[in-house]
Amino acid sequence: MQKFILFTSLFTIFSGPLLAENAVSNNKNKLPSGEQVATNINSRDEGEAVSRKLSIEMSDKRGKTRHRETMGYRKYYAAEKRTVIFYLSPKNIKDTAFLTYDYNDPELEDTQWLYLPALRKVRRISASDRGDYFLGTDMTYEDIKLETRISTADFNFQTLGTCSADGNSGLQIEGTPKTKKIARELGYSKTLSCVDNKIWMVRHSRFWDIKDNLLKTVTISNIEKVQGIWTQHNIDVENHKTGHSTKLTFSAVDYQSPVPDDIFTTNAIKRGL
Amino acid sequence: MIYPRLESLIAKKHNDEILKLARKKGPPNFVDIAVNKHTQAWRFFWASTAYPRLGICLSICLIIIFARFIPTLEKDTRSDAFMPEDHPALLLSQKARDTFGLGDPMVIAIMNNGPEGVFNPHTLQLLDWLTSELENIDNLDPEGISSLANENNIIGSDEGMEVEPFLETLPETAADAAAVKTAVMAFPLYVGTLVAEDGSGTIIIAEQIDPDKAQATYQALLALADSADLRSDERIHVAGEGALAGYFGSYIDADASRIMPLSALLIIALCFVAFGTLRGTLIPAFVVLATAASAIGLMAAFDIKFFIITNALPVVLIGIAVADSIHILTEYYETAARHPSFSSRELSATTMSHIWRPITLTSLTTIAGFFGLSIATIMPPMKYFGLFALFGVSIAWLYSMFIVPALLSLLKPQRSRAYLQHTSTNTNLIGAPPSQTSTSNTTTPQPQLDSFAKAASWLGKVTLKYPRSFLLLGLLTVTAGIHGGLKIEMDESLIKAFQQDEPIIIANDAINEAFDGTYFLDVMVETENTEDLFKPENLHKIEALQTHLAQHPYVKGSTSVVDYLKQMNRAMNADDPKAYRLPESVDLSAQYFLLYSVTANPTDFDNIIDYDYRLANIRISLEKENYKTIAAVIEYLNDYLRTTFNQTGIKGQATGRAYINYEWMQRLGDGHLIGLSVTLALVFLMAALSFRSLTAGLFCLAPIITTIFAVYAYMGYTGVALSVSSSMFAAIAIGLGVDFSIHTVERLQVLIGRSDVVTDQTLMALFPSTGRALLFNFLTLASGFGILVFSKVVILQEFGTCVALSITISFLASMILLPAMAKTFKPRFLGYATTQ
Repeated sequence: MQKFILFTSLFTIFSGPLLAENAVSNNKNKLPSGEQVATNINSRDEGEAVSRKLSIEMSDKRGKTRHRETMGYRKYYAAEKRTVIFYLSPKNIKDTAFLTYDYNDPELEDTQWLYLPALRKVRRISASDRGDYFLGTDMTYEDIKLETRISTADFNFQTLGTCSADGNSGLQIEGTPKTKKIARELGYSKTLSCVDNKIWMVRHSRFWDIKDNLLKTVTISNIEKVQGIWTQHNIDVENHKTGHSTKLTFSAVDYQSPVPDDIFTTNAIKRGL
Repeated sequence: MIYPRLESLIAKKHNDEILKLARKKGPPNFVDIAVNKHTQAWRFFWASTAYPRLGICLSICLIIIFARFIPTLEKDTRSDAFMPEDHPALLLSQKARDTFGLGDPMVIAIMNNGPEGVFNPHTLQLLDWLTSELENIDNLDPEGISSLANENNIIGSDEGMEVEPFLETLPETAADAAAVKTAVMAFPLYVGTLVAEDGSGTIIIAEQIDPDKAQATYQALLALADSADLRSDERIHVAGEGALAGYFGSYIDADASRIMPLSALLIIALCFVAFGTLRGTLIPAFVVLATAASAIGLMAAFDIKFFIITNALPVVLIGIAVADSIHILTEYYETAARHPSFSSRELSATTMSHIWRPITLTSLTTIAGFFGLSIATIMPPMKYFGLFALFGVSIAWLYSMFIVPALLSLLKPQRSRAYLQHTSTNTNLIGAPPSQTSTSNTTTPQPQLDSFAKAASWLGKVTLKYPRSFLLLGLLTVTAGIHGGLKIEMDESLIKAFQQDEPIIIANDAINEAFDGTYFLDVMVETENTEDLFKPENLHKIEALQTHLAQHPYVKGSTSVVDYLKQMNRAMNADDPKAYRLPESVDLSAQYFLLYSVTANPTDFDNIIDYDYRLANIRISLEKENYKTIAAVIEYLNDYLRTTFNQTGIKGQATGRAYINYEWMQRLGDGHLIGLSVTLALVFLMAALSFRSLTAGLFCLAPIITTIFAVYAYMGYTGVALSVSSSMFAAIAIGLGVDFSIHTVERLQVLIGRSDVVTDQTLMALFPSTGRALLFNFLTLASGFGILVFSKVVILQEFGTCVALSITISFLASMILLPAMAKTFKPRFLGYATTQ
């Protein structure tokens, strides 16, 4: 253990200046600004509509896991983004469905419904806080809502230097909430992401909580082109505070098959797939 | 026969010494030398004092070697320490701790005695601040902090269920605060647990990461509470099992380290009163130092922890060490008075040749007693107490046998005012064969006695005048002991150990009055398969268990996953009170949890149900923490678990702090009796073996048994409960009390053995010498333990009282019952048969 600490501290001592140098030499003149990076990320094509299977594996700190299989649809509308998730398994929550309307207008509260087959009723769920955890995962509603994007309304971004993740080089971007209120709402005081500047997707992120403790690490892998669109297939989130972790696996991603509008209705989630 | 051996000895070994002596002081008293030098013991001690300085140096080195370990001694004041580490109850509790993150929590209460209680903006903001500050305290688990400031409300609406924090926004106005009150009071689970029913207080429960750091954590919490900005009607209390355990150790330690030195000083001071000389004071002090330092040092060297009850060890060791010294010095001054012409070394060897036997016999029986204690108990602290007391006794014996004579042989012969009287008469009484001294014995001298010897003699006179009455009194004591003993109840309580004005007691009382309490008994419910806890039949069983427990008068409430599911069911039914019941299908339960997770933290239910929905925890709040309360509830619970709850597919097991305490405390009663029997049996065997007579064994036991029953009578009639501390009295009473018996029996044997005709006069000789020594022995021990009565710690007071009482009775019983028994029964082993 001591050796390890010694090693890492030596590593830090020697690599620190190197990294900084790296940052300085590459910085400012050549590297795009944080804002530019954000713009590039957010203007990336995500497809107007998508259908995909999502498997969710959650583990607690003792290593016990819960496994969920879902089928999801998402479609961008003029004023909002609509998402629906149908649970396929386990058996006791099969056919449960979750429908969300995320409005572009930040003044509007998002609307959510949950269909509980055991009650045969659709229940409206009050709008979640942006920092609330989404369906027992380690992602917050804001994380889910943003998908592959980053929020320039909430954060100031700054390019710190270069980085590499999953064997790909990229840009190290630091995000700081614009106000303390935003920080509290989101539960983050800082984010540090490694953005692949060839495809403008985040490959690795770390989040610090409002007390400046490392909160989460998000690793994105298996980014592949599907029907011409760069698509992430694996998102692994590790919560350092709780020891809880989540693995999201997307499959059968399809941007081309039409997604009917009426699937985003309370009747549809009641009817099921 | 004697003289040729003497001559050969003189020729062989002691020539130089005797010549030197003769030159210095004139010719030695050949009669004395003849009588003494010919006992093997005399020769042994003569030889052993050949290199006194070497022996003393070695002994000091030994003390230093042992004492060097003492700084590494670690304390362990946890009550878990009373159980072997691999005990199933500890393992289960560890599992519950790993699964649900529950341990001995710190409980912080904010109280407000104003009209709105805590539901005013300031107090709620204070709660929010305090809750968030707790995360910064080292040993507190940030995930294990629950309060109104971070718990979620589950409420219904026309369209569904909402889960949101009670303090979504910090209340700014009285109306905001009142809304919080309405919300909390509508959540049955939290009324009594998180908020007082009358709204006068609210609680923060904080789980610790490492319970061994409870003491520092408690101090940190007190400091945090002190730094809070309180209004005049607000109070912060810190209590809970964690705080209690954290404070308990330091409280006892602080008190013990205050009172133990006093006890030691008092004992040493009494030695000065007894002998009136510097050496009579410093020699016992040296043996005490050696004994205590060696035993505690060895403990540290073996990495044995210093437990709560180890606090009693030093006093016991001091008592044992000083007793040996008192008897040696009494003999020394008596011999010095009889043989004014003896050289230092002669005096030392002669003293030892007389006293080695009772010292050795008492040490052996005491060792037997402590050995009995250590093998009869399963509680590690008791086991180690017995073992290291045993080691201390051995060290005290070693120093008394070799180092004290070495010291005495270096010091000029000295006489104590207390023993001046013997000079004129009776020069060769003790140790002489009966045949040679029988004539002088019949005319026992009547020396002038000091008041202590007079007191002892008076005791002797009364005893020998009414021996049968005293025997009857002894029997009555035993009868009272049986009668009173049956009334003794077993109980143990950490809370009761503190004085009632301690902040932790005030906090504890305040919290337990306003809330369901801070004492928890947990039930771990285990089902077979993942998600079995969604099954209505299992949930109903848990509900029924909670209902059943609620009927017990000592149970203040309980919480489990059932309560949350009912709350969710009610919320999903538009807050209809009738819907406060369990969902009726597996799917619905599962879907409620999914619904809950729509907005809540994934780890929200961590401490009531495991991630697989296979294990659940039921947390029961108890009215009190004492053994009687927890035992009543646990037995009630276990009965229900066995007869009703446990079935194929589901079983419940008691765990948590209350259960651990129950497990070890319930052994106190049986353990006490077993320990007592084993100890008594071993002491009896050792005494019988030493005197080579079963009757002698019984004689030695008689005062001890009387003592134990007298203490039982005291406990039974005054309502002192049998607890860890008070149950220790028996082992110590036996260990120390048997010394009085042995000294008395040994001296009676000597006195009777050398008399042709045994009269009251023969027996009376016991009292001014041995009796006086025993009187001091008793006074030092009784005051050494008696001073514990002034301890702040109630259990130390009880312990001190019980031990002081048993020492007193052991002394009286030995001084009174044994001569009375000798006079009445004339047993052969004392020498009666040969003389009559």
